[in-house]
Amino acid sequence: MSGISFTQAEYIICAVANLIEHDKSYWVAIGGQPLMSVMLARRLHAPDVCFVVEDGTVSPQPTTASALIPPDAAGAPYYRAIAWKDMNTMSFNCAMGYYDYGVLDCLEVDMYGNINSSFLGGDWEHPQRRFGGAGGANEIASMCWRTIILAEQEKRRYRKRVQFITSPGYLDGSPEARERAGLPVGTGPYRVVSDMATFGFDEETKRMKLLALTPWATLDEVLQEMDFEPLIAEPLEQAPPPTEEQLTILRSEIDPSGRSIGRGKWFEYDPGK
Amino acid sequence: MEVLASGTGSYRMPDPDGHREWVRTHKSRELKSKVMSAREAVERFVGDGDYLGYDLCMVRRGPVALYREIIRQRKRNLWLAVRFSLLDPALFIAGECVEGIDIGWFSPGTTSRAIEQGKIKYSEWSNSAMVYRQLAGAMGLPFLPLRYLGGSDVFQRSGTKLVRDPYTSKEICIIPALNLDVALVHVYQCDEYGNARVFGPGLSPMETASCARKLIISTEEIVSNEEIRRQPHLTTIPYYMVDAVVHAPFGSYPGSMPGLYGIDTDAIAETAVADRAGTLGEYLEKWVYGFESDEEMLDKLVGAKKLIALQRKETIKEGYQA
Repeated sequence: MSGISFTQAEYIICAVANLIEHDKSYWVAIGGQPLMSVMLARRLHAPDVCFVVEDGTVSPQPTTASALIPPDAAGAPYYRAIAWKDMNTMSFNCAMGYYDYGVLDCLEVDMYGNINSSFLGGDWEHPQRRFGGAGGANEIASMCWRTIILAEQEKRRYRKRVQFITSPGYLDGSPEARERAGLPVGTGPYRVVSDMATFGFDEETKRMKLLALTPWATLDEVLQEMDFEPLIAEPLEQAPPPTEEQLTILRSEIDPSGRSIGRGKWFEYDPGK
Repeated sequence: MEVLASGTGSYRMPDPDGHREWVRTHKSRELKSKVMSAREAVERFVGDGDYLGYDLCMVRRGPVALYREIIRQRKRNLWLAVRFSLLDPALFIAGECVEGIDIGWFSPGTTSRAIEQGKIKYSEWSNSAMVYRQLAGAMGLPFLPLRYLGGSDVFQRSGTKLVRDPYTSKEICIIPALNLDVALVHVYQCDEYGNARVFGPGLSPMETASCARKLIISTEEIVSNEEIRRQPHLTTIPYYMVDAVVHAPFGSYPGSMPGLYGIDTDAIAETAVADRAGTLGEYLEKWVYGFESDEEMLDKLVGAKKLIALQRKETIKEGYQA
């Protein structure tokens, strides 16, 4: 059998798609890799999975993944939805516990799963590089039962402490830190998926814990791309590579332009080697 | 109610009774025509220093024709409710209209640079928090409790407070109501009095419209009051909240109006490139200042042929018609 090759973005989308369960509900960031992960799962093992985006669209059957700037009909991302509600309704439903998982990307994530999407460098008053802000991520990370975070494996991205907590993880990791801040009981980060590994969080300490390595990464290589030492599961699992079917659907149906899935470096994987 | 922690961000002090008094003295309950040009609506209802909000954003059902008129009239020192936005604040910043913004989300570019260079003031919120503040304003309340923002640095840089719930004694966040000075909402259909219909995923047309002191509706189509009364379940915004009705076909251009027309991909790309390159000033010369009105711009710069092509591109119609 010959090998396959794929980008960082393609692997992350496939790995998150593998986490999608058909009988759970997902509040998904409105564009890019989080939305594509759910669309890929819909196309394969979870055709009727419930997912919502923050403008109030409930379980559409979109024809492309570009929710913000569709190339064709502007109505395509909202096509054949179950309901067209509004932003407040999405937050209300989430506050009541209807949404099991949030799916988010970020600029930085830290050892307690706090994420930054506001600025890099400098300080809040004088940021070196300012980004768009919380968007819908704060409400998603606060109120979904579990949060899945997408973050490429880079030392500057996996920080001991993020510069700015745009959206809460386990905060300082102390017991009931989220509850004391007014957040719903029993919520928090669940998985962090990178292009080299998958992480979870320790139930006691709330610290990030390495659960699985991809076949193309070693433990040392992952640790070199982190600003802190994660807990390490025993035994470490191996994360499966993308399947050819997943890659074909991503490239031919979900993002035929390649604008999102073409990002990042390429990996080659040959199971025979 | 015991206050356990307070964010340090700036916010406008809620004033429900002041808003009631405004509604009593300024909002007409008379069923009278409010149809006027964009120029007249902006001259009469947008003031320097106003706090301005809009529904949706530049690529979808945004009130972009009204943005251009505000920029054309060189309004100054506006505060913007920047949630679920893309290039929207960048256009106003490039037009030198902006004193400050409340951040839900914007696309990085000109707006980022204005922050990095200390040219505008800002506070942090989130998309939902901003529409929830508008809901509180639309309910006539001073604040509402919520289950997010707590624990984050967004909390610290906003006007959110952590309090002890007087009923359960547990911690809960509260946020201050927001009553906009002026709201802009672009709709599918509206009668001459302002009874307006919005189709498609909503975001926040009702909260945005009803929390505002002054409300300008721009509409793709003006329909009769008889038509409104035939299907009252389709009325999103009732007339008594509306101060001006502007007939603005292609009012969301270069963005889309799902079901009616698609985005002008080239024109959006031109905007995005100018945003990144810091050349939105020249962009505004070309698209805004060089014309007396949006009608003139659509006629001379875009042209009927292009507009018809945008209509043809919008093949999905289900759900966007009365």
